Amino acid sequence: MSGSVTDQYVLEARGVTKRFGGVTALDSVDLELREGEVLALVGDNGAGKSTLVKTITGALGRDEGEILFDGQPVHIQTPLDARNIGIETVYQDLALVNELSITKNIFLGREIVKDNLFGRLFGALDFKKMEANVRDLFARLDIRISDIYRDAQGFSGGQRQAVALSKTIMFGKRVAVLDEPTAALGVRESKMAMDLVRSLKDHGLSVIMITHNMQHVLNYCDRVMVMRLGKRAAVRNVSDVDGDMLVGLITGAIAARSG
Amino acid sequence: MSIADNGPDDPAAATQTSSWDSVVHQLRQTAQVLAALALIYVVFFVLSPPFRNLDTLFSIMTQASILAVLACGTTVVLISGGLDLSVGSIFAVVGVVVGILLAEYQVPVPIAIVAGLLAGALCGALNGIVQVTTGVPAFIVTLGGLTAYKGIAELMASGRDLSRFPESYQMLGSGYVMPISIMFGAALLTGLFLTKTRLGNHAYAIGGNEEVARLSGVNVARSRIIYYMIGGLLAAVAAILEVSKLNFAQSSRGQSYELFAIAAVVIGGTSLFGGRGGVGKTIIGMLIMQTIIVGLAYLGVGTSVQRIAIGAIIILAVFWDVWRRRSR
Ligand SMILES: Nc1ncnc2c1ncn2[C@@H]1O[C@H](COP(=O)(O)OP(=O)(O)O)[C@@H](O)[C@H]1O
Ligand SMILES: [Mg+2]
Repeated sequence: MSGSVTDQYVLEARGVTKRFGGVTALDSVDLELREGEVLALVGDNGAGKSTLVKTITGALGRDEGEILFDGQPVHIQTPLDARNIGIETVYQDLALVNELSITKNIFLGREIVKDNLFGRLFGALDFKKMEANVRDLFARLDIRISDIYRDAQGFSGGQRQAVALSKTIMFGKRVAVLDEPTAALGVRESKMAMDLVRSLKDHGLSVIMITHNMQHVLNYCDRVMVMRLGKRAAVRNVSDVDGDMLVGLITGAIAARSG
Repeated sequence: MSIADNGPDDPAAATQTSSWDSVVHQLRQTAQVLAALALIYVVFFVLSPPFRNLDTLFSIMTQASILAVLACGTTVVLISGGLDLSVGSIFAVVGVVVGILLAEYQVPVPIAIVAGLLAGALCGALNGIVQVTTGVPAFIVTLGGLTAYKGIAELMASGRDLSRFPESYQMLGSGYVMPISIMFGAALLTGLFLTKTRLGNHAYAIGGNEEVARLSGVNVARSRIIYYMIGGLLAAVAAILEVSKLNFAQSSRGQSYELFAIAAVVIGGTSLFGGRGGVGKTIIGMLIMQTIIVGLAYLGVGTSVQRIAIGAIIILAVFWDVWRRRSR
C-alpha cells in the first residue's frame, strides 16, 4: 500500500461538534481520510482546524460525534488512546519540551527501559538503545543532527520540526496528524519539512496536514478539505483545484456545492 | 533533503557514545556552582584561621546534612514545576511520630524509622493528591499543609517528653561519618532517580512543559503525586537524622526549613520555573549557604547580618536563573 491512495477510509470523523462556552468551534463536522493519502486541511484563522484535529486525537473532549478507525467505531478519550491505535500527532507549538534532549523528546511517554531487574523494578532507562534508534532514524531520513543529547531549546525551528516529524515516523503505525508543520519556518526549512511529510507517506502513513500554504497543498497533497466558521465548506481532489479557487473556497467567495 | 547541524561541529560526537557527552554536559553546569563554592571557601580560608583546619570542612558538611537531605526532595518537586511549602511541618510531624514511638512505646528502632518514613511519604502524597484532584495551586495547598501539619505535630506532642532515645538510634546523627554519608546517600539515590529512571525523566518533562507531557501520554497527575511523596519521604529522612542528633523531638522543629531548602536549590542552579536542575547542584548550594553562615560567624558577624547575606544571595541566584532564561 506504500505510496498509493486507496478508496478505503482509515480514519473517519462523523458529526463532530465542539463548544467552548457559548462559542461553537465545530458544528457537526465530518472528515474522511483515505488510506495512503495526504489530506490538506485549510481555512482561515479561527475556522476550527486545530480544534477538529485536537478532538479527533483525544487532546480535547468533544460534545458530539464519533470517530471510526478502519470503519470501526473507536473510543478516543485521551492522546494515549489515539496513539495506541496508531495515530501520531504533532500539535502546533506543543511538539517538544525545550528542557529535554532530542532523544528524550522523541521517546517521551514511550521510553525504552532496560531489559533487566532495574528496568522492571525502577523503570531504569536504556539510553544506549534509545540513542541508537534515534541515530538510525535520523540517518534514514537524512536529518543531520548529531548532538541528540542536547536540549531541544538550542535547535532551530526547522530542526525542531524535523525532530517532531521524525517522531511520527518512528512510532506512527497508520496515521500522522500535523498542525501547521511549516508555520514560522523559512523557505528552505519549509521545503525540508515538506520532504519529511512526503517520506511519511512513503512510509505508508496516511496524513492529515493543516496548512496555510496553498503551494504546499497543490504540490504535496492528494485531497483538500476546506473549513469555514466551524463547518466543512468543501472537499476537493487537489487535481481539480488551483490556488485561486482554494482561496475562494476559504474566504467564501466561491460557494461550495457539496461537502 | 538534509537538516543541517547548528551545533558545535564535532565529528567525534557521532562515534563517541553520546551518554558520555551527556555526562560531560551535566558536569560542566555543576562545575560552575562547585567553582563558586571553592571560591567562597578559599576567601574564608584566607580570612579566617579556623578554615585552615580540615575539621571545619567536615563540620560544615555535617551541619548542612539535615537540610541537604530535605532539599533533595525539594529539588525533585521544583524540577517537576511544583512547590512544597509544607516540608518543614512534615519534618515536625515525622520527628514527633518517631519520638513518641521510641520514647513512649519503646518500639524497636527500625520500626520507628519505617513508621517515620511512611508518615512523611503519606503527608507528601496528600499534598499532591489534594492538588491534582482540586486543581488548587501548589502554593495554596502546601501553605495550608504548612499550618495543618504543624497543628498535627503539636497535637501529638503536647504534654509529652520526647527525649532520651536508645543508643543505636543516637548513632545515626552523631559524629561526622553517619550524617555526611546519609546526605551523600540520599543525594545519590535521588540523583539516580531523576537521571536514570522513566518517572524521574518525566519530572523534567512535566516541569518543562506540562501540556506537551500530557499530550505525549505522560500520566501527569500520578507522577506529580509521587514527586510530592518523595519530597515528604526525604523530609522524613532529614527529621529522623535531626531527632537522632538532638536526642529529642519537638513540634517546633523544622520551622522555615522549606525556605532554606528552596534557597539551596536555587543557589545550586535548579530552576524555580521547573524543567531544569539536579540534586548534586542542590548539595553544593546547601554547602555554599552553610559555608557562608559558618564563615561569617567565625569572622564575628552576627546572625542577623548572616540572614541578610543569605537573602541577598538567594535573590542573586534567582536573578541569574531569570537572566539565563531570557538570554536563551
Ligand atoms: N481552548 C479554547 N477555549 C475557547 N475557545 C477556543 C479554544 N480553542 C479554540 N477556541 C476557539 O475555537 C475557534 C476555532 O479555533 P481553532 O481551532 O484554533 O482555529 P484554527 O486552527 O482553524 O485557526 C476559534 O474561534 C477559537 O477562538
Ligand atoms: Mg490552528
